[in-house]
Amino acid sequence: MTIRIDRRKFLMGSSALVAAGAAGVMPSWAQAASLRLTFWGGQARADRTYAVTDLYTAAKGTAIEGEFLAWNDYWPKLATQTAGGNAPDIIQMDYRYIVEYAKRNAIAPLDEFVGGVLDLSTFDQDQLDGGKVDGKLYGISLGANSVAMLVNTTAFEEAGVTPPTNDWTFDTLMEIGEAFKAANIRGGMKAIGDGSYSEPMLQNWLRQRGKDLYTADGKLAFDEADAIEWYTMWNKLRDAGVCVSAEDQAIDTGPLETTMLVLGKSAMLQSNSNQLVAFQTLVQDKLGMVGFPRVAAGVGGGHYRKPSMFFSVGGSSANKEAAADFLNFFISDPEAAKVLGVERGIPCLPSTREVVAPTLDEQSQVALNFVANLGDLLGALPPPPPASAGEIDASLIRTIGQEVGFGAKTPEEGARDLIAGANDILSRA
Amino acid sequence: MTARSLQSGASARERAATPSLWSRIWQNDAPGYLFLLPWLIGFLGLTIGPMITSLYLSFTDFDLLTSPDWVGANNYMRMFTNDPKFWASMRVTMFFVVFSVPLKLAFALAVAMLLNRGIKGLPMYRALFYLPSLLGASVAIAILWRQIFAGDGLVNKLLLVFGIEGPSWISNPKTSLWTLIILSIWQFGSPMIIFLAGLRQIPQDMYEAASLDGASKWRQFVKITLPLLTPVVFFNAIIQTIEAFKSFTPAFIISGGTGNPINSTLFYTLYLYQEAFGFFRMGYASALAWVLLALVGIFTAFSFLTSKYWVHYDE
Amino acid sequence: MSDGPAKLTVVTGAPAPGRKRLTSILIHVALLSASVLMLYPLLWLLAASFRPENEIFTSASIIPSAWSIDAYIRGWNGLRTSFATFYLNSFIISGLSVAGNVIACSMAAFAFARLNFRFKNFWFAMMLMTLMLPYQVTLIPQYVLFRQLGWVNTFLPLVVPKFLAADGFFIFLMVQFFRGLPKELDEAAQMDGCSPWRIYWKIILPLSMPVLATAAIFTFIWTWDDFFGPLIYLSEMKSYTVMLGLRTFTDSTGESDYGGLFAMSVLSLVPIFLFFLFFQRLLIEGIATTGMKR
Repeated sequence: MTIRIDRRKFLMGSSALVAAGAAGVMPSWAQAASLRLTFWGGQARADRTYAVTDLYTAAKGTAIEGEFLAWNDYWPKLATQTAGGNAPDIIQMDYRYIVEYAKRNAIAPLDEFVGGVLDLSTFDQDQLDGGKVDGKLYGISLGANSVAMLVNTTAFEEAGVTPPTNDWTFDTLMEIGEAFKAANIRGGMKAIGDGSYSEPMLQNWLRQRGKDLYTADGKLAFDEADAIEWYTMWNKLRDAGVCVSAEDQAIDTGPLETTMLVLGKSAMLQSNSNQLVAFQTLVQDKLGMVGFPRVAAGVGGGHYRKPSMFFSVGGSSANKEAAADFLNFFISDPEAAKVLGVERGIPCLPSTREVVAPTLDEQSQVALNFVANLGDLLGALPPPPPASAGEIDASLIRTIGQEVGFGAKTPEEGARDLIAGANDILSRA
Repeated sequence: MTARSLQSGASARERAATPSLWSRIWQNDAPGYLFLLPWLIGFLGLTIGPMITSLYLSFTDFDLLTSPDWVGANNYMRMFTNDPKFWASMRVTMFFVVFSVPLKLAFALAVAMLLNRGIKGLPMYRALFYLPSLLGASVAIAILWRQIFAGDGLVNKLLLVFGIEGPSWISNPKTSLWTLIILSIWQFGSPMIIFLAGLRQIPQDMYEAASLDGASKWRQFVKITLPLLTPVVFFNAIIQTIEAFKSFTPAFIISGGTGNPINSTLFYTLYLYQEAFGFFRMGYASALAWVLLALVGIFTAFSFLTSKYWVHYDE
Repeated sequence: MSDGPAKLTVVTGAPAPGRKRLTSILIHVALLSASVLMLYPLLWLLAASFRPENEIFTSASIIPSAWSIDAYIRGWNGLRTSFATFYLNSFIISGLSVAGNVIACSMAAFAFARLNFRFKNFWFAMMLMTLMLPYQVTLIPQYVLFRQLGWVNTFLPLVVPKFLAADGFFIFLMVQFFRGLPKELDEAAQMDGCSPWRIYWKIILPLSMPVLATAAIFTFIWTWDDFFGPLIYLSEMKSYTVMLGLRTFTDSTGESDYGGLFAMSVLSLVPIFLFFLFFQRLLIEGIATTGMKR
């Protein structure tokens, strides 16, 4: 609270502090007439979420004022609200930002409510750990997902190529690529999008080699030699026409509709298991899902079950316990579970999974089965990424990957700049 | 002047001794300040505070979520000595300003002249040409631009008719900035309307007199239209330059906020935005903003100083 | 010179019928082909709004394989609140903004262009300076300020600044035009004992229809198109504007209704286009000044 008042004092140099301070003292959650909830997503997610808030209000009497925004709009608004001392009570949080918000007390630790209003006794352990920062619980995972290779099965059929299975390797990828080149369907469709600057794909590849992006104490967990090999491998795939050209890949600026899969330039795309449904609405072809390619036959451990998103409680919320109670309802109530499905990922409570499983449509079933049956592909949960991981991804992994792809840098130069730049950013934070 | 106003607040005796001073102030200054009052209230009440705050923040580390820490001129030092992205974004923005502003203004003026000829269907054309500007920052623009400038987009389909195989303009780092310049020119509606309004203020009898004297169209343009239009040209040039320096939305929507490919569309304000809201460095972003303000301010002051040699007001 | 007939004098060159017709045809051809080029993207948008959803990004042809108005129906009620509410909100905000900007900015511009007062140049420089600072860095201090005033979640942060002439663009624009009006007019009026208010109201404003119409058009359209202000200050969906509603259609990370987005994008252009059509007639009023100048 003091921090907040300090900031206001300097921002305003004014006197309305007293009122603001007084409003902050409101300990009992029983008094909470309403809670503010904010999340990113589209209308489909909003419909499900609001149905659950209605259920909660009917059951407990506390009204929930929900607000949802598109991903790009969500973060500046949340930062502005937080800086202005007006953050919502319940905040949907991303794996990327949770460290950033937790370290600055913009979201509250929930440990005091565990065992109380929050019953997490059967909650999946890896999903629980995924929401922890510095040993404290800051976010409740709303669903597990995993990286996954989306496969346009219709295109494979058309090209007369056998679609990959979970056993496939980068060598298989090369073969599939050659076969697609020979088949030359749909104006030269390639086997796969360019993954050289996809952070999840790089991480998966590193983990299969027994390394990772970051260590537990927030340092780089790979070296220049790894990066050189990575860039060289993708240069080979690109030159062989297995993956799309650098120019085509650069059209992908993030939104689903700019991806190579939706634009019909590649038959496969690295993505997340929970995004299959969203992709399916954008293409006419039938989509399936397999794991990422292995570095060699039989090598696994690259995948992990990642919390797709969290609910966190605002650090300045006056109704933390009431908010925690809502979170408990959201993850465990059977009626809520039926409404929510696997839209935010696979539920993390076994009881909820049981309720959800029979209600799913075909595509959601595919996603559920994929995550449930990763087998030897599944490795341990990596330590939470350092706060500046997002910046390293946006300004180094992406940009340098493009520079190498366009031939502006050799793999050696790219690898050198990546390691040096990442160390610089990590030391600055 | 300062001495006089100090004096005026001094004592009742003095005020009584110089009654004409107050009436002079009332006569000379009051009307101006009364008309300026709404703006003054807004400026002092809503605008200046946040501006000064951002200036203060530029000397701090401020992560948005906790209190700012004073770091002196560190942010400015880093910018000029140890930040290649600062220079990269400056280059992109400069390139954009230098090419988009003159082209957009020339295009807007040419169309405005054409539309000012009293042709049939004038309101329709004016509206048609303004339509692209209506779209503003719509998400749809990003999708439209890909349809036109991607590898299999409209432009390349047209080029293919002439046997030319074009690149993917929008995603090639060599050409991507040009697609944004074209977007900026495409939305030339505002300066066009302002030029039109300016052209409408030029008295027609001047042209009639010139015609009688046998002056050619070109001579009329150089001797009548241009000089009388200079206040509007001046305005459009200043405003478009300021806007181009601050340009954010086109790059934000087209590159999805990344400034890619290879930072070729990393506009200055896009970099600023990334620093502020993406990487939680509002202090550094504020410093970036004030450097931009200084740069644009110098440019504007210079324009105003030279304006008395080429801008003609009816005074 | 009386201003009656002058009003009707439209710019026409010397009368040489044959040559004139050819020129005129050529101009129309040039203008029309330019229009088509300019408008292609908008036509694509229009076509996309009638397309089946999964064809939007995968089909190369501009003509949809099947026409359907589903997207319009789906889009209009696609969000929890109907677009009718968003339209109403946008109209209220944009309408008030037009009134505020035209009144407050013309007053300030009149002061800068026609009156003399101490520190005028200083204030003018300050006004220009407000144009130069990127809004991204004043956003948070401003949010804190409006929150202290209790204005968050209301239209006030979006409308009140307009009545306080916060947008220097329009002041500067009007100053340039007011300075173009002949000084003799005010001087003569002053001799007759007219107050500055009467000069502003009876002489300057009536002669400035083109620039006032320009300001009105721009204010309406820019306010309508603005999403960042509404995004930050409005939280409840029932107070959303059309643009903010449009942005919630697409989320880059999940399921999005693109058909609905395109359909509503097309519809969102209709009011601003009509506003433009209506007010652009005022742009022509400038001819009225013909008879009075010099």
